[in-house]
Amino acid sequence: MTQTVLAVVLGALFGLGTYLVLRRDVVRVVWGVVVMSQAANLYLVTMGGLSGSVPVLGHGAEGITDPLVQALVLTAIVISFGTTALALVLTYRVHEGHGTISMEDLAEEVEP
Amino acid sequence: MTLVIAPILVALVTAVVSLFARPFERLRSAVSVAGALSYAAVVALLAREVLASGPLTYQVGDWAAPFGITLVADALAAFMLALAALVVVPVVVFGLRAIEERAQRVAYHPLFFFMLVGISGAFLTGDIFNLFVWFEVMLMSSYVLVVIYGTPEATGATLRYVALNLVGSALMLVSIGGLYAVTGTLNMADLSRRLADPAAYGVNPAPALGLTVLLFSVFALKAGVVPFHFWVPEVYRAAPAPVTATLAGVVKKVGVYAMIRLVFTVLGGAAFDLSAPFSGDAWGFYGPVLFVLAVASIVLGGVGAVGRDDLSGVLAYSSISQVGFIVLPVAIAAGATSTAVRTLALTAALVYALNHAVAKSTLFLVTDVIESATGTDDLRSLGGVAGRSPILGGAFFLGALALVGTPPLSGFWGKFLVFDAAVGAGATGALAAALGGALFTIAYMTRAWNRGFWGEASPSVEEMKPDRGLVTVVAAMALLVVVIGVGFDPVYRFAEAGANAALSRHDYIDAVRFAATAGNGGGH
Repeated sequence: MTQTVLAVVLGALFGLGTYLVLRRDVVRVVWGVVVMSQAANLYLVTMGGLSGSVPVLGHGAEGITDPLVQALVLTAIVISFGTTALALVLTYRVHEGHGTISMEDLAEEVEP
Repeated sequence: MTLVIAPILVALVTAVVSLFARPFERLRSAVSVAGALSYAAVVALLAREVLASGPLTYQVGDWAAPFGITLVADALAAFMLALAALVVVPVVVFGLRAIEERAQRVAYHPLFFFMLVGISGAFLTGDIFNLFVWFEVMLMSSYVLVVIYGTPEATGATLRYVALNLVGSALMLVSIGGLYAVTGTLNMADLSRRLADPAAYGVNPAPALGLTVLLFSVFALKAGVVPFHFWVPEVYRAAPAPVTATLAGVVKKVGVYAMIRLVFTVLGGAAFDLSAPFSGDAWGFYGPVLFVLAVASIVLGGVGAVGRDDLSGVLAYSSISQVGFIVLPVAIAAGATSTAVRTLALTAALVYALNHAVAKSTLFLVTDVIESATGTDDLRSLGGVAGRSPILGGAFFLGALALVGTPPLSGFWGKFLVFDAAVGAGATGALAAALGGALFTIAYMTRAWNRGFWGEASPSVEEMKPDRGLVTVVAAMALLVVVIGVGFDPVYRFAEAGANAALSRHDYIDAVRFAATAGNGGGH
């Protein structure tokens, strides 16, 4: 049951992310990328298996969920936090420098 | 063996120290140059050790493989590190004079060395998730380095570069998660071992191939291979020249290195049940894929470069085409039937990567000297640079000849080995592509030379006074192109050792020394 729900949620998140990345508005593109990287994190957690109890020291080695993927996700979250902040600052600077946040207008300006 | 992490440590220490040395001009310059030189020195030591006694490993935090992160320095990693060191030393010296004072005071030096930390880590790691982390360290620094002047052009280009690479990172995470779920490990040597004998470890290999394709496309994005090339020209033009030289010279090669590592070390022994048009093992799949990417890059990059009027545009498109030249022998190696041809082809790829790294970064730096002296890099308003400044013209000429592949320069050997491997493998298609690509290179380089460097000096060139310090650095780099070509024998033997290391999967696995308990019992 949980698996089906998560599969649907993951599919929806990746779909939403892709849709937003293909928008013209730069802010939406950044949102899309954020949604996608969160979807990837969620996917990573599900890859460790969903059955089992909380992996806390002292619970014993039997019947716990794989804690490795959770460590991976923590790393990935920190990284995506940093890059998201950078992308938002860049969006602001693009708006400041070009007076537009439309990808198409930007592309026209850059092409000689 | 702590020597394995020495390149990462040296770059990291330099980055941290230069954070504090930023406000003081002399001090930060001294720190950067000393950092770059010590980096080259430890890489040389590491390479000597690896070539003498085989692959070295370092278990991070003393966690036994495959539970902890393992760093592996084999001859392939050592060759790539040496390539990085050769580019980084002159680029750092060049940057001291070429980068605007404000950018140097704010962040340039620490960022540059943090990028080098990421590059070195990516070459050394033996763990796919750790590879993701090093990629991010490298990319995060490169984003800020590209946008460091904060011009509108740079912010626009960087935003697209960031968005693209974030999508790439998400895909990389998906493939890493998937590979972990399928094989139960993140360690490259362990992956290789399990995929070679899936039944013994209870692994279903079918999804693994698709997941590695996802990983492969992320590497292709980093390498700027067609169809993942579209970000290259814009970013290379927006970034300051020393950054562009490093991106084109070294960061691209990280992508190429990761492709080689994935296809030959991780998937080296893997068997898949493939249907037409692919056949046999993982190489039967990746051979044709690499071939198509290589040919498309050579042609599209070549056509793009011929049509450009600005010198940095020509060089950026040429980078796409030249990466095709590096990937072409990799494709030949994957498709070859004999070990001798396979080794030869990979050697060719490594030699060509080295040639491109040195020659292309020289050309980017020459372009920057011209641009800052004349205010333009548009070929229509340049002309007669060679007459006005023979050293600058000479450096460009040598770099261009190295790309074209004239003896006795480094590029001749690169091209020669590519052709040799194509003939040895009986790959007529590859031969035709290489020949066509060589003609393109001659066409766009001759065009750039004739219009920018020969003939009457244009008004802007007539008045130019190139910075002497910068010209000296560029001349030294051009000399390096000649030295690599003339003293080619040790370079060849080093590259051959690298190719052998890529192909000897078992040595790599043995070097990692798994903990005894990790022997069997598949999955998690």
